Amino acid sequence: MLDSLLTVLLLGATMSAIYALIALGFTMVFGVGGVLNLAHGGLIMVGAYTYLVVSRSGALDWLPGAGPEVASLLVAALVAALVSYVLYVGLVRYIEENVVITFLATVIVALLLTEVALYQFGSQPNTLRAIWGGATNLESVGTRVLHMHVLGFVVSWVIIGGLWYYVKRTDEGRSILAASMSERGAQLTGVSLQKVKSRTWLIAGAFAGIAGVFLGATTQPASPNMWLNPLALAFIIVVIGGIGSIKGSVVAAYLIGYLEAFTIEVIGASYQGILSLVVLVAVLLVLPEGLYGREFVHE
Amino acid sequence: MSSETESSNTIAGESSGRVVDRLRPVTGPIDRALSPLANGYNRFLGPYFGEMNGLQFALLFVSLISLATAPFWSNYIIVQTFTVASIWAIFAMSWDIQSGYTGYISFGHSALSGAAAYTTAMLLYNVGDFPFMVTAPVSVFVTLVVGLAIALPSLRLSGPYFSLITFVAVLIFYRLIRPFSDQTGGETGLQSVEVFTYDPVALYYYMFVPMVVIAVVLVFIARSNIGLVFTAIRENESAVEAAGLNATKFKLWSFVISAIPMGIGGVLLAHYYGGVDPYTFVVVDNSIEMIAMAVVGGMSSILGPLAGAFLFLSLDRIILTELPTRLRWIIIWVAVLVVLVFARDGVFRKLWHGLDRLGGDRE
Repeated sequence: MLDSLLTVLLLGATMSAIYALIALGFTMVFGVGGVLNLAHGGLIMVGAYTYLVVSRSGALDWLPGAGPEVASLLVAALVAALVSYVLYVGLVRYIEENVVITFLATVIVALLLTEVALYQFGSQPNTLRAIWGGATNLESVGTRVLHMHVLGFVVSWVIIGGLWYYVKRTDEGRSILAASMSERGAQLTGVSLQKVKSRTWLIAGAFAGIAGVFLGATTQPASPNMWLNPLALAFIIVVIGGIGSIKGSVVAAYLIGYLEAFTIEVIGASYQGILSLVVLVAVLLVLPEGLYGREFVHE
Repeated sequence: MSSETESSNTIAGESSGRVVDRLRPVTGPIDRALSPLANGYNRFLGPYFGEMNGLQFALLFVSLISLATAPFWSNYIIVQTFTVASIWAIFAMSWDIQSGYTGYISFGHSALSGAAAYTTAMLLYNVGDFPFMVTAPVSVFVTLVVGLAIALPSLRLSGPYFSLITFVAVLIFYRLIRPFSDQTGGETGLQSVEVFTYDPVALYYYMFVPMVVIAVVLVFIARSNIGLVFTAIRENESAVEAAGLNATKFKLWSFVISAIPMGIGGVLLAHYYGGVDPYTFVVVDNSIEMIAMAVVGGMSSILGPLAGAFLFLSLDRIILTELPTRLRWIIIWVAVLVVLVFARDGVFRKLWHGLDRLGGDRE
């Protein structure tokens, strides 16, 4: 009983941390541009596969220690960010005034990325190489902690802290916040909406890429369909937390992460996701605005 | 930003306008030659199904005849493709009457067709050997119930939130299949349904005739006052409310009108494959394919999605059939994306309006 509780606690912490990263990018893109980017899941996959290719190619093996893996992580984040940027500049920018078309187009991009992954890598799942391998046994309480999970947790919080600092304390970041509150107001004070949006997509892409690597190395091996689950969860998290709210996303990520860990550990892995979906429906019916309402106000 | 796209659209519109002007001297007489036929149609059925000019009438007539006689002029692969396309056309049209017309984009329609197919298969597998006359109405009824179960909570929301909830409905359905695998057959599905017939020609008509009937009924509904209210909901919901109409009631009706043909299509599909499994019937990709067909053909036009379904499946199974599966889907999705960006209103709506202009002025 105690050890399964502890497992839930540890697994939940990791999963929540990764989900928070995914949900943050998703919610920022929605908050600023009003675009529900269903291709966000695809970016997770892009990150995971980039890491797979780079870390397997051995091109970075001359780096000492865990250098190759860390460098691969950075490359993965960079590539996912670029794909996200290209997606915005090359496609979404031209259609974003029509919500329905944007929505459909991003779904189709997600399917397109899936097919490309299937074409290139086949359907078999690939577990990614751990950045910090091994595990520490906690014998006194009868469980063990994978180092990769600890790392995921730490990286996630560093990133969340960084994002918080960026959005609240720097002018560039504050312009993102301003644009999400009122596009016209932001433009009147000299914010370039175009730049803010591209920047948001870049950040969201990088977050998704990093999340993809950690997902692939811990709970969800890299496969062409790996994005569907996290994307659904990101949805749920964002809606529960309140669309556009950073604080809400983080809180809801932990809520859902622990709910998922509890489901897997106690009820059974085949029920994974169902409980969260039910919670989502309940929250939507009772609190359509989510836990933290709309911190970012739209006109 | 938006002005940029507008101007580019008008430029494209002008150039195609010039082409039309050059073609009109050729096509105008053809239109006039055909117009007595079209006028006969317009006089009797025009008020119910919309009027058309000679060229449009010819297009519709020739398409219908060539589809109806497909087994006599084509080969096995084409007939088989058209058989599946007929079922998908039912799905795309049903999606269209709900999502295309009211603007409440549903990602949950594969849950409806899946519900119908699974009801048929599970009745036969778990309960007993019922005849088609029992399983089919029960399945359609269950679809209606599922449709209302999705609609009632989700219609409290609008825009992307609505789409999200319908998306989630499919995920819940898919997730529930595995825990109840004793009844549902889990990932492998159930092979309990009897295929109508193994004669490909007869099978084609089993699918084609219901499709035509559904198409006629849906076009009739879409052109009636109900369709008008649906469109009004899409364009300006508060105006509908202000006119004293209960928009929520009409949105529920759109789900009812959509769920019944979805149920029929689901039953047909189960009887086509002889069984059900989550990948061919439930997964979200199915919903997205329906939407893609409707969008390619032209949303909120019923016949556009029908044509879209045939085009989509012909691309997949006839035109690109030589390519490996993955590459084929990559090409198809890119094509859909191109249509979404450059021809938002759909390929067949463009064709239809083009024919209207080619026909010149109507008297």
